[in-house]
Amino acid sequence: MLTAFYINNYVILSHALALSGEESQDNRRDPSLGLDTDFVLLDQPLRVTQEKHKKEKYIMSYARPEYLVDTEWVAQNLKNPDIRIIESDEDPLLYAMGHIEGAVQVDWFSTLQHPLRRDFLTKEKFEEVASNLGITNDTTVVFYGDKSNWFAAYALWLFQYYGHQNVKIMNGGRLKWEQEKRPFVKDVPAYPKTTYQAKEADKSIRAFRDDVFKQIESKQPLVDVRSPKEYSGELTHMPNYPQEGATRGGHIPTAVSIPWAQAVNEADATFKSADELRALYEGKNIKPDGEVIAYCRIGERSSLTWFVLKYLLGYEKVKNYDGSWTEWGNLVDAPIEK
Amino acid sequence: MSLPNKLQEMIDDIASMSREEKIETLIAYAESFPDLPERFKTEKEKMEPVPECMTPVFLIAEKDSNDKITFYFDIPKESPTVRGLASILLYGLHGCTLEEILSVPADFYLAMKLHEAVSQQRINGFVGVLSHMKQAAVKA
Repeated sequence: MLTAFYINNYVILSHALALSGEESQDNRRDPSLGLDTDFVLLDQPLRVTQEKHKKEKYIMSYARPEYLVDTEWVAQNLKNPDIRIIESDEDPLLYAMGHIEGAVQVDWFSTLQHPLRRDFLTKEKFEEVASNLGITNDTTVVFYGDKSNWFAAYALWLFQYYGHQNVKIMNGGRLKWEQEKRPFVKDVPAYPKTTYQAKEADKSIRAFRDDVFKQIESKQPLVDVRSPKEYSGELTHMPNYPQEGATRGGHIPTAVSIPWAQAVNEADATFKSADELRALYEGKNIKPDGEVIAYCRIGERSSLTWFVLKYLLGYEKVKNYDGSWTEWGNLVDAPIEK
Repeated sequence: MSLPNKLQEMIDDIASMSREEKIETLIAYAESFPDLPERFKTEKEKMEPVPECMTPVFLIAEKDSNDKITFYFDIPKESPTVRGLASILLYGLHGCTLEEILSVPADFYLAMKLHEAVSQQRINGFVGVLSHMKQAAVKA
């Protein structure tokens, strides 16, 4: 518990609480006490821990905090019928090795891709997937996964592409859940099928190559989230990842290099704070009011950057270019810089 | 030249499986994947990295007095797919000679139809594992 004591109608709190986002107009400092304290006028004693306040402050500082939940929130909502938890991993076997109780799986490769074309599953197929996972149009879907939620963001982006409104990411993903010694189970849940009605694909969040050409012509920026060596053209694939067949190296003109992983804390896979993220992107001239297109190699890493820009920082006009370098680096007559 | 017997058996076995059985088999392999023996843990620099893999994978080979080769892998448990795939080569080539190992063609995996269960990137990584096993075997 937070140390708090009362003088008249005032509660004297440690200074840390002043960061809790609940500062009132009555805040003032009394130098006579000789303590670094704030006075907050309150009717009731506070029954919150300092830790909880810090955590809330952390999430609330993002532009759209409703798109992010912490592990404790998920733990408290495991049995909530209005919520479906979805695991989406880079390594699709991880779910079978153990997952959050009640969570279902989508795999970016076998669930979310079109079986023939280089494209996502069709709207009809998406409806079938959602129905089989027991998701209604009103269900709040919470995504989590391995690798700093990289593929969780990809799945979230695709759910939004087909118009699903209530989506969230569990901050920290599998790593944080595991670090907190929360349980993983092997039981695969089955939910009654639903009737799900997807919307027409929302192209305002997906960039195609023509959008990229327009972006270059209008001198608007792209964010290249690949590794620095991919950006410079030294490599055509991720370090430590297989070559995936781009015949040219380099980057799209007007693109700045901001590797995706700079947006997350390596230690627990959570997102960096709003201030840190703002400094990261605005420092590279990626401004909230402009149009931004993020890309990587096949659009998975950049979907995490898309999530950060769109919901953690509140950029209105940001798209993910899923064609990414494996399209651009092979496209005849497309301009490339090194 | 034909494949080493054990590897051929494993390939035939996996080739006959449905997609679900393939996934279950990879999971079972991943769960029983052997840890790297302690004696190698302090000698990481002697191990062969496999940069084609999506996760940090290291391997090393040892040759016994009969010229039979044994492989040891270091693959994180957070990467069960890589562990599962590497198991096919770990068990399939266990106790083979250098010549037998070098004779395995790079397209040995085709008959298993792994693409039903895992993405092409994974398969590329898997082929990378074989080529680095060959290099490690030469050094053993």
